[in-house]
Amino acid sequence: MDRRGAPVDVVGVGRTFALGDGEVVALRGFDMHVPAGGFTALIGPSGCGKSTALRLVAGLDAPDEGIIDMDGSSPDEMRRGQRIGVAFQDPSLLPWRTVSTNIRLALELVGRRHDSAAVDELVELVGLQEFGKARPSQLSGGMRQRVAIARSLVTNPDLLLLDEPFGALDALTRQQLNDELQRIWTARGTTTILVTHSIPEAVYVADEVLVMSPRPGRVVARHSIGFERPRTRELLLTDRFHAEVEAVSASLHRSEGQVVQLDTDPS
Amino acid sequence: MNAATEAAADAPTRPPGGSRLDRVPPRILSAAVGVAVLLLWELLARTVYAGSYRLSPPTAVVAEFFEFRGLYLRNLWHSTKTAAWGFLWGNLAAMALAVTATLVPWLRRSIGAVVLTIFCLPFIAVAPILRLITGPGNATPIALSALAVVFTTYVAALLGFDLAPGSALDVIRSYGRGRLVAFGTVRLRASVPALFAGLQIAAPAAFLGAVVGEFTGAHRGLGILTVRALGALQTDRIWVIAVLSTIVATGGYLAIGALGRYLCPWSPALDVGAVPVARVEPGLLNRLAGLLAPIAVVFVFWYAFLWVFGIEPFFAKTPIDVWAELFSEAEAAETRSLIFGALGTTLWTTSLGYVVGLAGALVTALVFILVPWLERALMPIAVALRSIPIIVTTPVIILFVGRGLLTTTAIVAVMSFFPTLVNCYTAMTRTPEGILDVLRSYDATSTANVRNAYLPTSVPALLASARIAVPTSLLGATVAEWLATGDGIGAVMVTAFTRNDFKILWVSVAVLTIVAVIGYWLVAAFELRTLERMAPGISR
Repeated sequence: MDRRGAPVDVVGVGRTFALGDGEVVALRGFDMHVPAGGFTALIGPSGCGKSTALRLVAGLDAPDEGIIDMDGSSPDEMRRGQRIGVAFQDPSLLPWRTVSTNIRLALELVGRRHDSAAVDELVELVGLQEFGKARPSQLSGGMRQRVAIARSLVTNPDLLLLDEPFGALDALTRQQLNDELQRIWTARGTTTILVTHSIPEAVYVADEVLVMSPRPGRVVARHSIGFERPRTRELLLTDRFHAEVEAVSASLHRSEGQVVQLDTDPS
Repeated sequence: MNAATEAAADAPTRPPGGSRLDRVPPRILSAAVGVAVLLLWELLARTVYAGSYRLSPPTAVVAEFFEFRGLYLRNLWHSTKTAAWGFLWGNLAAMALAVTATLVPWLRRSIGAVVLTIFCLPFIAVAPILRLITGPGNATPIALSALAVVFTTYVAALLGFDLAPGSALDVIRSYGRGRLVAFGTVRLRASVPALFAGLQIAAPAAFLGAVVGEFTGAHRGLGILTVRALGALQTDRIWVIAVLSTIVATGGYLAIGALGRYLCPWSPALDVGAVPVARVEPGLLNRLAGLLAPIAVVFVFWYAFLWVFGIEPFFAKTPIDVWAELFSEAEAAETRSLIFGALGTTLWTTSLGYVVGLAGALVTALVFILVPWLERALMPIAVALRSIPIIVTTPVIILFVGRGLLTTTAIVAVMSFFPTLVNCYTAMTRTPEGILDVLRSYDATSTANVRNAYLPTSVPALLASARIAVPTSLLGATVAEWLATGDGIGAVMVTAFTRNDFKILWVSVAVLTIVAVIGYWLVAAFELRTLERMAPGISR
């Protein structure tokens, strides 16, 4: 398989936000390594700073401490070089544009306005051939997410960042999109980081699952997921899949337990 | 861990960078700009405009006020009292109409037409007609002040009632209770934030109605004081009145805003100035009914008005009389050429100012979005200026610009500029953060951000502002013509007024109102079509 894209190295990153008179430490001592062409899932309790971490890697926000390096470039350089594709839980489509022109937006922004072939290819890849001229308001939630994913991919980015892109969808649609995401990633081999709440989703699609602690967030456990690809839905029913989900789940609970101890610590 | 802290931790942030001026506290920046404006004003008045009777320096304005403070405070108190009564009656009427329109849905369109017609009346020419009924007392300014608030409060109350959560209404229905109970328990409560947003705009509007009512003859009040000062070219006096009017109108606006925030701390800021127009049901019959029913209702009100107040036939003109004056009387051709000739001038100067005002506002809003420190320095001033009824400061603009055709254009431009600026800028700031993040993730240029995000998101607000600005622009234009320029239909009306020519006065009022209503609906139709085309199913 042709692996491409940029490796991501995050070392000792911290980020603090002002909140009213006080401050919130979202991340502290956050480390992460994603090899070129790798698929890493980031999982953790609500508010642990997963999204913050992703925004830092995307260059949409800057860390207060630590280093983020991608093949010698900083996130901001990657962003300015237009080498990143992002998709969020909210598909953030432009309501006045059609499916095709929403996908084309990314091409327009990187100066490849006339690359209609790329748009058509992505429309097909996410299975929306018949809806190219539809507006977002005429699509279902799952279809809108496909458009957002297609938009993030159309520029052939070196890094794909997904922040709970399927978080608001029903279980069935979600599973379909996970299959598609895996297929797309297999075909394109882009370095991918997926933030998610769902343990089975993370185990199903990723090479490696990183478990984060509650705030201030940092990585407390790594799980290498060795299932062969392409992974199919039969995998979901196997004992080894369940065992892996159990293992990640246990790490997640341990990480939550840590904070209970921290909170009750008299110091 | 709750959603609020999570949202705080994931709060949107911009990449580092930006101007150093972005870090100056907004209050200090605004204060600095305010002081700079005052200094520049003083300097210009003392040098370039010295002895020109155009611009009074701030120090002279303050000195003038203290020298004649008894006179000013007496008249200010009088106008404020008038406005307060008008505010009360107008809002009660508007609330009653909104409640009726909500409880009896098939009446909604007709009530809406009456309210819109009131909004489109050329107040300045309505005053002499009202005076026929009320006599020389203070009732005409009060009535005009009441009429001036009906539209905004009606629109706001209706919006508030409609904002009631549908699920809550369903709960009421699931217990077998009807509209009335749903209204009392859900809609009334849910409408409070929107209602306050409307009352906030109504406060300066009531003041405007009072002052305009006083322009055409009153014993006391800032309006009549202004007319006298304009006649005697007392520049300082006109400036003092403008400043006092601004302070009182802005004070009312701020006070009601504060009360609203105190009573409904949970509610986000609502902007009733940018409510999109309601959609018309499809089908020819619906459209025809939608067009004819309101016209019929307005005519019924017209006759009822004449009948209830028993106005003498010499003064009272029915729709048929107006038609006859324009088309079948012996002098009809003469009347037509007088009215429509003057109307042409008015429409030309007004539309010029209207376009300049709207375009200027849109460009300024974009500049504010792209240059945040400029926005923080100037936006508070724009918000304050939006709250004041610019018409009240017409005399000052007349002094400054002179009495030519362009005066009308300037006043209309200023009047449409500030509300449109605030509405468009507010809409642009509500561009979904996710869309901006997508654009940022490709390092999009400012031009790309404007084209793909800020401009499209401001279109609904721009169109709503443009629609509302049609009647207000015509009102501003006629006031300017009446008071100063001697051109256009405002001048025709003031001549008719001084000659007691009620035929021409009625015809002018009718024609102007029709023009304003048509203009309003033309923009509304364009607004509907554009919103439907931009994003089908999104517009209301």
